Amino acid sequence: MTQVITEQINMEALKKAIDDVFYNQIDSTILYYLQSCVNCKACEAACPFTSTSLKYSPVNKAEVARQLYRFRFTVWGRTIGRAIGGSKKYLKLEEVETMVDYVWHCTNCGACMFVCPMGIDSGALVDLLRQVAFKAGLVPSIYKEIEQLEVSGKYWEVKAFRDAWEGLISKMKSQLGKDIPLDKKSSEVLFYASIYEALVYPDVLMKVAKILDTLKVDWTFMSKPLGIRPPLGLILGDKEGAAEVMKRILDYFTDMSPKYVMLTSGGFEYPALRYTMHEVFEIKPKYEVVHVTELLAKWYEMKRFTIESVEEAITWHDPCQLGRRGGVFEAPRVLMKALSKNFKELPSHGVNSICCSRGGGGCGLPTMIEEMAKLVGITIDDKSKKFLDSTIVPLINAGKLKVDEINKVKASEVLTGCPVCIESISFAVNYYHANTQVKHIVDLLADRIKKV
Amino acid sequence: MQIPFGPYPVGLNLYPLALDLFIPTIFIFFAGASYRVTRYFATYNKPFIVYGTQVRGISQGEKIIELFNTFANSSRVGIKRKPATTAAGLLMHIVLVLIIFLLAQHMIFWAYYIPPYKILFPLALPESSADGQLAFFRGSNPYTSTPYPFVHDIWGPLTIILNGQYLTYLLLIFLAIYLAHKFSVVVERLSIRAGDWWFFVLLFIDVVLGFLATSHIPNNVFWYDNLLGAHILIAEIIIVTLPFTRGFHMFEFYLGKIREWYFMIMRRGMK
Repeated sequence: MTQVITEQINMEALKKAIDDVFYNQIDSTILYYLQSCVNCKACEAACPFTSTSLKYSPVNKAEVARQLYRFRFTVWGRTIGRAIGGSKKYLKLEEVETMVDYVWHCTNCGACMFVCPMGIDSGALVDLLRQVAFKAGLVPSIYKEIEQLEVSGKYWEVKAFRDAWEGLISKMKSQLGKDIPLDKKSSEVLFYASIYEALVYPDVLMKVAKILDTLKVDWTFMSKPLGIRPPLGLILGDKEGAAEVMKRILDYFTDMSPKYVMLTSGGFEYPALRYTMHEVFEIKPKYEVVHVTELLAKWYEMKRFTIESVEEAITWHDPCQLGRRGGVFEAPRVLMKALSKNFKELPSHGVNSICCSRGGGGCGLPTMIEEMAKLVGITIDDKSKKFLDSTIVPLINAGKLKVDEINKVKASEVLTGCPVCIESISFAVNYYHANTQVKHIVDLLADRIKKV
Repeated sequence: MQIPFGPYPVGLNLYPLALDLFIPTIFIFFAGASYRVTRYFATYNKPFIVYGTQVRGISQGEKIIELFNTFANSSRVGIKRKPATTAAGLLMHIVLVLIIFLLAQHMIFWAYYIPPYKILFPLALPESSADGQLAFFRGSNPYTSTPYPFVHDIWGPLTIILNGQYLTYLLLIFLAIYLAHKFSVVVERLSIRAGDWWFFVLLFIDVVLGFLATSHIPNNVFWYDNLLGAHILIAEIIIVTLPFTRGFHMFEFYLGKIREWYFMIMRRGMK
């Protein structure tokens, strides 16, 4: 996976990046993560990438960060540690290759933290390495170009994106048979979506609009999207870029001032826009960012609508960012139980749900990335193509774990709340010829909601 | 001074040396622990916390249950997905705690330095299973009355199996499993740290020394005092290095899990 990148390594830039990240990012939490690991390897059990290789276990990946930390922050690291290989001031060329390989084998899904007896979030340490890689220019060019498009705001100049968005709005209008409210201030619900969602599941977004209209909610939609899948910088290790994008979003949310900002994506956008954005700018918002399942579960319990149930066995895949990072587990289950008496939990669910292995671990299906690159006019050279192809292996391996679990509960439909999870699990379902369908929960729910 | 068992000068063996070094050991441990804790304070930034969810709140009772779940989750998942190493790890920790804090000889040692420790004397575990067997099969009582005769402690006949002798056998097995695990990590070319060997090897040696001393192998006072002294000295080396090694996890474990619970349950309202 790394041959693509190493030819371009600027060792001086890398050293500066290592210094910058490790001297500027250490706070008490990161310090705890760095020095309290007992190397028990319990985290192996939770990581989707260990099915590809044990070298991708969280503790093994994070060890690179620990070696860099020890040199800078411990006496042992500067003395004996150097002699016995436990600490490093900088990385050698082959170690850089290893580091870059590791950062693309972590989705930052948080599963390792919950099974770690010490509560260590190895994903946070891999994120430090990802920041190093970004600052040193070691991010695959295809990802970086897409991210820079988002940071610069030029994504809106891309015709394909504009067409997708404007097409979505006009379809919503014709579906509802009336104008839809755009950029309306002080509404109850600001329905938030990104370009990525408009491209991969426009039908889901239209169904959400239908639900809001059916329930006569005071809602509004965005005349323009706020990013491709913002803030992409958080995934790639570009904190500054992510901050720029989040500022734009924060300004828009503040200006619109709704009661709820409702997301259909339970991917990394959820904790980013709900928590990280406000923590970065130290602002307590007057609105609340919620996932569509949270609001619908609340309204269902308030008896604003009923749900016509189905007979089939259905199951719920917990998106890692919505659940483990975001804290939302119960709301989708309220809806799932109402949707079918045959709702079955996957063997690994809740905080222990097996991640779909995308998100930060390859950023999406390679075909999807290629498709998007074509849309925005990015040339996919051989190196990029090779890199994208190499991201399929973990998808296949992690997908097997998920498909085995789906087969075990014999679910005819797997519902979830994240576009990337839908794509990744669908890929695995097709690859292993499993007899099930993967959908957004709204897909099944929309036609079964009856207003009371 | 000579004692009656042979040419054995008191004071020229490891035992008094080990006892003399105990207080400095504790001092160095606290200095090291203070250094480690100070680093946390020095790097602490008060986090800006946005909000807990207002859409679907979590009740106080659920928060308490989740505190238990936070601590238990690792073992639950481990038993399911990595049963051998998880079970060995859990049992090793239980046996370690029992031996370090409840073995009768250790309790007397702790109570000497911390007198209130005596309150735990009824929980004392005897050195071998013979005591439990005598109490259970023969109804034997100590010849002389003592304030806390072990056969009258809360364990009763359970000491047939719950005693220093058997627990030591178990501990050696579990430590051996862990050492083997470390070797397997080397074979798999995964990351391994000096601290892994330091802690497990020292612990293994220390348990063997304690076992030899308490079993009087070899059976003479000279060896007994030296083995016991070496046992205590190794324990002191472990204690002194605790703040600088993975051993400190025995304290930080609680910090990590409570932090996880606080941020995920209290602040993010995970439900």
